[in-house]
Amino acid sequence: MKSSFRVRRWIEDAVLHLLLILIALFMILPFIWMLSTSLKPVSEVFQSPPQLISPNASLDAFRTLFEQKGFARNLGNTLVVATAATVLRLFFCALGGYGFAKFSFRGRGALFAFVLATMVIPFGVTLIPLYYIMLQMRWIDTFWPLIIPGAANAFGIFFMRQYISTLPNELIDAARIDGAREFAIFWRVILPMIAPGLVSLGLIFFMASWNDYLFPLVILKSPSNFTLPLTIRSLVAGGLGRPVYNLQMAGSVISIVPLLIIFLVFQRRFIDGITAGAVKL
Amino acid sequence: MNLQVSPTQSASYPPVGQPIAGGLQQAQNRWGMLFVSPFFLLFAIFGLFPLLFSLVLSLSDWNGQGAVNYIGLENLNLILQDRVFWQSMFNGVLIFLLYTPLQLLLSLVLAVVLNSRRVRGFRLFRTIIFMPYITNMVAAGYVFQLLMNSRSGLFNQILAVFSVAPVPWLDTPWAARVSLVILVLWAWLGYHMTIMLAGLQTIPQDLNEAATVDGASPLQIFFRITIPLMRPVILFSLVLSTIGSFNLFTELVSLFPSTAGGGPLNSTITPGLYIFNQGFGNFRFGYASAVAVVYFVLVFLIVLVERRYLGRDNT
Amino acid sequence: MIRLTKQLLVLMVVLLATSVVYGQDAPSGTITLWGWSFDSMEATGLIDAFKAEYPDVNVEIVVYPSGDTYQNLQLACSAGQGAPDVVQLENSHLAGFVALDGCLTDLTEQVEPLLGEFNDYKWLDAERDGKYYAVPWDSGPVVLYYRQDIFEAAGLPSDSETVSELAATWDSYLEVCKTIKEETGHTCFANSRAANDARLYEIALWQQGLGYYNEAGEVTVDSPENVATLEKMGEFWEADVTSEAQPWTDPWYAELGGTGEDSTASLVEASWMGVFLKTWIAADLPGVWGVAYMPAFEEGQVRAANDGGSTLAIPEESDNKDAAWAFIEFMLARPESQITQFAYNDFLPALESTYSDPIFSEPDPFFGDQTPRQIYLDVAGQIPSATVYGPSYSLMNGHVATAIQRYATGEVSAQEALSQAAEDIRRETGLQ
Repeated sequence: MKSSFRVRRWIEDAVLHLLLILIALFMILPFIWMLSTSLKPVSEVFQSPPQLISPNASLDAFRTLFEQKGFARNLGNTLVVATAATVLRLFFCALGGYGFAKFSFRGRGALFAFVLATMVIPFGVTLIPLYYIMLQMRWIDTFWPLIIPGAANAFGIFFMRQYISTLPNELIDAARIDGAREFAIFWRVILPMIAPGLVSLGLIFFMASWNDYLFPLVILKSPSNFTLPLTIRSLVAGGLGRPVYNLQMAGSVISIVPLLIIFLVFQRRFIDGITAGAVKL
Repeated sequence: MNLQVSPTQSASYPPVGQPIAGGLQQAQNRWGMLFVSPFFLLFAIFGLFPLLFSLVLSLSDWNGQGAVNYIGLENLNLILQDRVFWQSMFNGVLIFLLYTPLQLLLSLVLAVVLNSRRVRGFRLFRTIIFMPYITNMVAAGYVFQLLMNSRSGLFNQILAVFSVAPVPWLDTPWAARVSLVILVLWAWLGYHMTIMLAGLQTIPQDLNEAATVDGASPLQIFFRITIPLMRPVILFSLVLSTIGSFNLFTELVSLFPSTAGGGPLNSTITPGLYIFNQGFGNFRFGYASAVAVVYFVLVFLIVLVERRYLGRDNT
Repeated sequence: MIRLTKQLLVLMVVLLATSVVYGQDAPSGTITLWGWSFDSMEATGLIDAFKAEYPDVNVEIVVYPSGDTYQNLQLACSAGQGAPDVVQLENSHLAGFVALDGCLTDLTEQVEPLLGEFNDYKWLDAERDGKYYAVPWDSGPVVLYYRQDIFEAAGLPSDSETVSELAATWDSYLEVCKTIKEETGHTCFANSRAANDARLYEIALWQQGLGYYNEAGEVTVDSPENVATLEKMGEFWEADVTSEAQPWTDPWYAELGGTGEDSTASLVEASWMGVFLKTWIAADLPGVWGVAYMPAFEEGQVRAANDGGSTLAIPEESDNKDAAWAFIEFMLARPESQITQFAYNDFLPALESTYSDPIFSEPDPFFGDQTPRQIYLDVAGQIPSATVYGPSYSLMNGHVATAIQRYATGEVSAQEALSQAAEDIRRETGLQ
């Protein structure tokens, strides 16, 4: 009886592992295909049956991107925008979160609930007026709209408030007693204490900004100002209408690699950031 | 600012944030307002104002040029007769029904499996399954286009190995919706699974053990203990998936470029895409704003229903 | 001494005056171009030639696909800023921009002497209230491309003249298709049901001089003639002789460029398709495609229609209109420039003075040494005026495409589908 139980358990384990492996394969497959296509010459992209590694595999697509398409510029743009947006967002959300968490003022509850409620509003609703405002401010085709408006991020302030409210008050009180000014308390006491949370949230913000497509699509007009998702899309048609999928996949690979590296290094923090939002709701 | 209190007495001193009498506390609380004000300034300018502006525009037929001409609720009338808008709402509902149960089930089951500690390489699996989340949807859409190509795409080639007839992934209305769901599942499974995992980890292990001792089967544990205790997380997932289903945009335009995201017979167009097309494609800004308002109200109602139906218990 | 100074003074004044006069005349500065077909000027050295003639003008080309060009121009016009100096606009979308007050520059004065030199029908979309806002670039005369090898395999003649006779009308073309299907199993042409883009339908309307609206501005999408045209297309679906490949996707290219079972026997499209076939879609199949006249809708009617074709316009916001006009005039109004571009991309110039050039009678080895350019020429001269393009083209095209999809997949009848489209169009445009 014992052994049949063990056998059954062994089979169950095997099935579970198989399921997981299949799913993991499915998750990875598109990445492999992206890489494979980026190394192919254009004519082989749609070859049937498809090959994984083409005999003519080369880095030509990547070379073309950087030499002829100015891809380095777009990569740089995305880096600059994502970094600036993240820093600004973290600052505003940390400051605001601190204000909500550790102070009491009239209307605090209602204000916070209101901010939360706006998380439900789909982006499409404010897209058009937001565009028009950017137009009036002459911010079209600049990076400002991608950095500044997003600083008031509802998810971010919610996260920060939750996070900061778990901090002990003793340190804050002690600092006050020592005569420290309020902003200095924030800067010198609070920020270091929430550093892990800042990293987690920062990773999420960075990724969101890096991958954003819709808003940059509406705001950026000159190809040299494009961020990576826009550039990838613009790569699809070559001269005389011929689609160049290998270039596009090369661009896609490049757009993913930096995030992949960051993710692999900071996995723990990344995941912490995401779960905090959901579980402590 | 010299308080006549020694640090050792701070434990009995009312914690910061609690209202007490005294100008000192009020002075401190004013700092609180100061700290949240930059956030609110930005929020007011770039969040609230556009929202109100949207409401105002929705009462006009402005096309981006010239004077704004108010036509009251005429847009509402047009919306009610707008076949494509209702098609997009219908698509949103269909996609939601196709996608959400699958997503919730898969992510929960996977989380349970990974959490059961019967699996080796837990971290590796979690990482791999999470990876698609970091991909931008333009890249993802285009590579799925390549994979789902009905003639030379890898998916059909794999099916051919098992002697399955080629599937017209992107060519017919229903296949297009399914393909879209597959793409979104691929992208978000890791995310949802991760939050499910976190939620599972808040369930004390003893509960499951006690139940097993009492003779409960894994399935019974799953349905009677796990799911009820995971309600808040499931709700969060659900709300996210709901909004997501209706708001798909980037995935559509990169998966179905020849129909500008609408899919064969407009089978995949979502309200989010439709609003964009009306605004930035046809330049009917007033009309697009009206559609946005109606759409928001409808989605809000759906979310309210979900919260009521599945809302927080007093556990 | 004083005399010298006086002479110098006079010289200086003369020089100054000359430079002012000539300096004003010579266009200068930088002009920005938006469009997707400027490679025909870059690769052929035309841009350099332009710069040689106008050394003070800098040319900056921004390549946008057509959709982005239209969207960005629209945004720029409504914003009052950000427009280029020269913009490429297809005829299909031109009228929409001409209708936008203050978007495009009135070029009537510059264009007056050129009116008779271009294909007549190209001016229709550029004109409003007697003023002209763009200059024609190329035309899209529609012909019948056919696979000589497949025709032969089906026991049909494969030379251009006979094929033209065989497919003289849509009805006889249908018979040809059926024969090909029976004898070889190949499809006749691609006409996706679920993802139809209305292109072929619009060609069929154009050749009859029909369109989406009439002179009074009333919507004719659901007129009896329009419905009959759709039903004629329906006969091909019923006979199951078409393929489902969606246009501009890989399966579609594979059908046109391969020799397998799934390759298709023909394609009714404009002359610019020929160069696509030649350079990349069917580059591996020289000598196998041929060119014939497209079928007439009915016996005795014209065998000509238009699909596509671009123009160049100058946005009103441009602050360098002189240089912009110099560019347009250089590239479009001079036969040498147009022929140079034509030799590169086979896009038929709309400038009729180019038609006497010997290049048109050159045999084309890709098309089995036929002389397709002669056919393009001939067709271009017969293209009727039609009301397919217009100020609300995109909107109308969108609804009609959906209607065709619904009809083709058997959801509703042609009348029902087009009536619904017409209703939606009327409601959204305010037209009758």
